[in-house]
Amino acid sequence: MPAFERKDTHAMTRPEVDLAGIKLKNPVLLASGTCGYGQEINDLLDLELLGGLVVKGISLIERPGNPPPRIHETPCGLLNAIGLENVGLERFLSEKLPWLEKIDTAVIVNILGDSVEEYTQIAQRLNGVPGIEGIEVNISCPNVKAGGIAFGADPALAAEVTRRIKMVTSLPVIVKLSPNVTDITVIAKAVEEAGADALSLINTLLGMAIDIKNKRPALANVFGGLSGPAIKPIALRMVWQVARAVEIPVIGIGGISTPSDAIEFFMAGASAIQIGTATLVNPGSAAEVVTGIASFMDKEGIDDIRQIRII
Amino acid sequence: MSRYSAICHIIDQIRLTRDIFHLVLNAPDIARAARPGQFCMLATAHGKGLDPLLRRPLSIHDVGPSGRLEFLYRVVGRGTDLLAQKGPGDIVCVLGPLGQGFRLGTSSSSILVGGGLGTAPLLFLARGLEPRDITIILGGRDAQEIVRLDSFEKVAEKVLVTTEDGSLGIKGLVTSALERLDISPSSHIQHPPAIFACGPWPMMKAVCNWAAIRGLAVQVSLETQMACGTGICLGCATRSSGQDRYLHVCKDGPVFFATDIDWG
Repeated sequence: MPAFERKDTHAMTRPEVDLAGIKLKNPVLLASGTCGYGQEINDLLDLELLGGLVVKGISLIERPGNPPPRIHETPCGLLNAIGLENVGLERFLSEKLPWLEKIDTAVIVNILGDSVEEYTQIAQRLNGVPGIEGIEVNISCPNVKAGGIAFGADPALAAEVTRRIKMVTSLPVIVKLSPNVTDITVIAKAVEEAGADALSLINTLLGMAIDIKNKRPALANVFGGLSGPAIKPIALRMVWQVARAVEIPVIGIGGISTPSDAIEFFMAGASAIQIGTATLVNPGSAAEVVTGIASFMDKEGIDDIRQIRII
Repeated sequence: MSRYSAICHIIDQIRLTRDIFHLVLNAPDIARAARPGQFCMLATAHGKGLDPLLRRPLSIHDVGPSGRLEFLYRVVGRGTDLLAQKGPGDIVCVLGPLGQGFRLGTSSSSILVGGGLGTAPLLFLARGLEPRDITIILGGRDAQEIVRLDSFEKVAEKVLVTTEDGSLGIKGLVTSALERLDISPSSHIQHPPAIFACGPWPMMKAVCNWAAIRGLAVQVSLETQMACGTGICLGCATRSSGQDRYLHVCKDGPVFFATDIDWG
């Protein structure tokens, strides 16, 4: 490839960032559950323009997901109860990862489990597998052995699962925090103390809707996770709080659909951001955010997006 | 299978009844790639507005020369209401064509059954079928719900209309028209017809029962709530006839063989 072409591509995808040891072309990632395993969306969104993607959460054994209805639209938002439907660890490695390996973008694998053992088994299996740059741990799942309380709702449980995962992998470990807690900074600090390399927040907010015509909850699962622009102010507030409570990098997630949304998160203290629901609405959103961040940096005359953090 | 994200101009938008609209867009790439039974996701918010957040799935009603892409829809909520307010020259963002369409096959005859706005994909389907011994059954609550009858008559040998109140055609449900066709069990005839159905769940279920008795295969086009339409969110699950499995309407469908679906 001639040098000038290389430069053009670089200009389109900058600025490079180092996120807890993961090299990213730029600080824009696709959020888990909103980009499948990459291949499903690549024809509508060139993944190589992005910093990376966080694949659909993987459990040890394939999960069929929840019965329908699984989704319900709310004002500027989306409630979902997909039920963590996924192909399971082994099928991910044999059927999904080979395609992802050919794509020049960072691949972060989101993992989930019902028990600390399930998380650690997955993390151990992923360790050293070529083509995986990092692990993101979904701690919003209920801990079956602890009576169903979410790992992410209890600082001790969140710390334990983090520590045990760190023991079995040399990959950078990002812990994805649940916003359904009284004080997210308590969980954030517990997880940092346990060795997390970075934090991503927020996961969806627990909510519900009722179908008044049929007199029943709109989702078969009754409760679902709220995402989309409706949750952005809450996500931004939590990123601001956590970025000031911990030393490790924070990845901002929650209702980001435009470059200016993303810039708000960088100003709040995020080192990178994830685009989620916006991709479902407009597959090109993340690429537009990348371009918008680059022009913003040009206009501001800065070369590191972290320079715009409000102190 | 190419999918496009396009910004399309409205060529025409015709109000057919109080709440049924016929939308014609200029969408050359999508129209060229589209196959009968596929659908598109249409953004309905004003400008770059975020409410309603999600695009609306609409099955492709027809495609025409020079990039015409047509939809038939009913105003059922805020999204379709906003769409109905747009007119010629306005812009609509469209993702498509999406999903798996009808398998056109080689049957020497076809019976297409549509209930309510489930008739929408049948026009494009009838145009795609060869050879052309086509019977179309259009069912509605009343005469108001039977739209674009002249267009359907142009693409089929026979068009039967049923209305629940008897205001047009045969009084009754689409199955009343099916019974009148006097189709023998497939084991008794050399060339069993291909059956296609789209409409409310109970209607499709009734068509499938009618066909099952006769040993005929049915392809159904399902409608469901959708968020992305592109196969990434897994929100549009429907129960598979296989054990403890879900199919996804946007990527495995919207067209399925009736035997693949758990009809409940």
